[in-house]
Amino acid sequence: MARYLDAGLELLDRQVLDCDGRPVGKVDDLELAIDDRGVPTVLVALLLGPQALGMRVGGRVGRAMAGIASRLAGTERPLAIPVEQVAEIGIVVRLDVSVDELPEAGRLEHWLCDQVVARIPGGRRATE
Amino acid sequence: MKRVLGAALGIFTAIGGFMDIGDLVTDALIGARFGLAMVWVTVVAVIGITVYSEMAGRVATITHRPVFDLVRERMGARLGLANVVVSYLLNALTLVAELCGVALGIELATDVHYLLWVPLVALVTFFVMWRLPFKHMERLYGLVGLFLFVFVVAVWQLGPDWGAMWHDVTHPSVPSGEGLPTYLFYAVVMLGAQMTPYEVFFFSSGAVEHGWTTSDLGQARLNVFIGYPIGGILAIGIQAVAALALQPAGVQVEHLSQSVLPVVMAFGKLGLACAVLGIVAATFGSVLETLLSSGYTAAQHFGWSWGKSVAPSSAARFSVLVIATLIGATAFALTTINPITITIYAVYLGAASLPFTFLPILIVANDRRYLGEHVNGRLANALGVVYLFVVSAAALAALPLLIATKGGL
Repeated sequence: MARYLDAGLELLDRQVLDCDGRPVGKVDDLELAIDDRGVPTVLVALLLGPQALGMRVGGRVGRAMAGIASRLAGTERPLAIPVEQVAEIGIVVRLDVSVDELPEAGRLEHWLCDQVVARIPGGRRATE
Repeated sequence: MKRVLGAALGIFTAIGGFMDIGDLVTDALIGARFGLAMVWVTVVAVIGITVYSEMAGRVATITHRPVFDLVRERMGARLGLANVVVSYLLNALTLVAELCGVALGIELATDVHYLLWVPLVALVTFFVMWRLPFKHMERLYGLVGLFLFVFVVAVWQLGPDWGAMWHDVTHPSVPSGEGLPTYLFYAVVMLGAQMTPYEVFFFSSGAVEHGWTTSDLGQARLNVFIGYPIGGILAIGIQAVAALALQPAGVQVEHLSQSVLPVVMAFGKLGLACAVLGIVAATFGSVLETLLSSGYTAAQHFGWSWGKSVAPSSAARFSVLVIATLIGATAFALTTINPITITIYAVYLGAASLPFTFLPILIVANDRRYLGEHVNGRLANALGVVYLFVVSAAALAALPLLIATKGGL
């Protein structure tokens, strides 16, 4: 018997981890393919990041959030992870790629790391 | 001793939550105005925060997902976003008050104006955030905070009539000269000050920072069952000594220096030294707890990497947000804004947001897909539902009571 997945409850807003268990983001929105009747049939990709979340939230706040994020990212398109790269959907969504292979995912993280954190003494050392 | 150290997270969380600057003043104020007629509120708060921290700790221990991670899943995009913004601001606002609180504690010992200490406190906080391991942090501030037991010991020293005290506790009544709305107003303030959302955020995130797994469930429970009652006993101690020493003299408590007065009357300088040491450690604990919680809530909502136990460079967004929050809060504190006023606002916001924190925890703690056999038992669910009503009622009553009593006058 086919198992059904409630996308609203079991997929949206779930934590996404890469193949090494490092956080990538949240499932902020979903991309569906539509057939020639205009009916969505297939899940194509998971959309991650403030652009996707902003568009989903909508309204003035959501649009502003998506707008700022697009400006910073230099592209209108949010980070999309094709379903082929999803390894497992459970209480978290696991990918079978590393976050390092998803350059858009870690852009702000890397920039802040290089420009701010690494310049403060001790920023690269763990405390334990 | 090993037991005590093993419960350090619980003790640290509870002391930071029950003994922050707002509580230290409010407990004494309530003791001086209402005697022991509000001890029951603290008992109610201890049971409630214990029930929900146990649930949140269990969920975090088994799934490695702390509270705020789950809040979003159960709330949807819009309400979730509103909730993270409110929770972040609430933590940051409390942080401002706590930074002043540490500085006020040092002022008690040095007579140097607290505003001069605020930048120094912020600097030490930064150092602790950046370099001190999580375990050492909770042990240092949690255990030194236990010096606050001087308030409890002072009850014996002040030689009360135990029978009359027990009667006041078990038969609470509104003292003559105080109206019922005022009594209820302070009951809500105390409940909000003791059951704060950041205690749950922090404890569940701390469980993940410790790397607890299913085999540590007993440890997690032990932390909750030891920590919060200690926080409650300290709170009742402050109320009791204020009732014994300040109420007969008709002292109106408005400042931290009045909170420590009964201890000075009981033990003199030595008492003052213990109290100051305990106050500085406990409020410092609150600073760290609220600061980390502001980072935890945002990072967990947006799915960033986070944590104090990892190198800051491996959690860059989290670390930068924490530092920016610390700088912003310090600047705000230096505007000479009254920390006690801020705490009252923070307590109100906190009381209003508590149902939004508790409901998702209760739902997830019943979900077998997350917890398997470790889902809530009947007792946890019964208490959980009762407390959901209690905090919702308090949240609804907060604003009308504030207006009716003109802020407790």
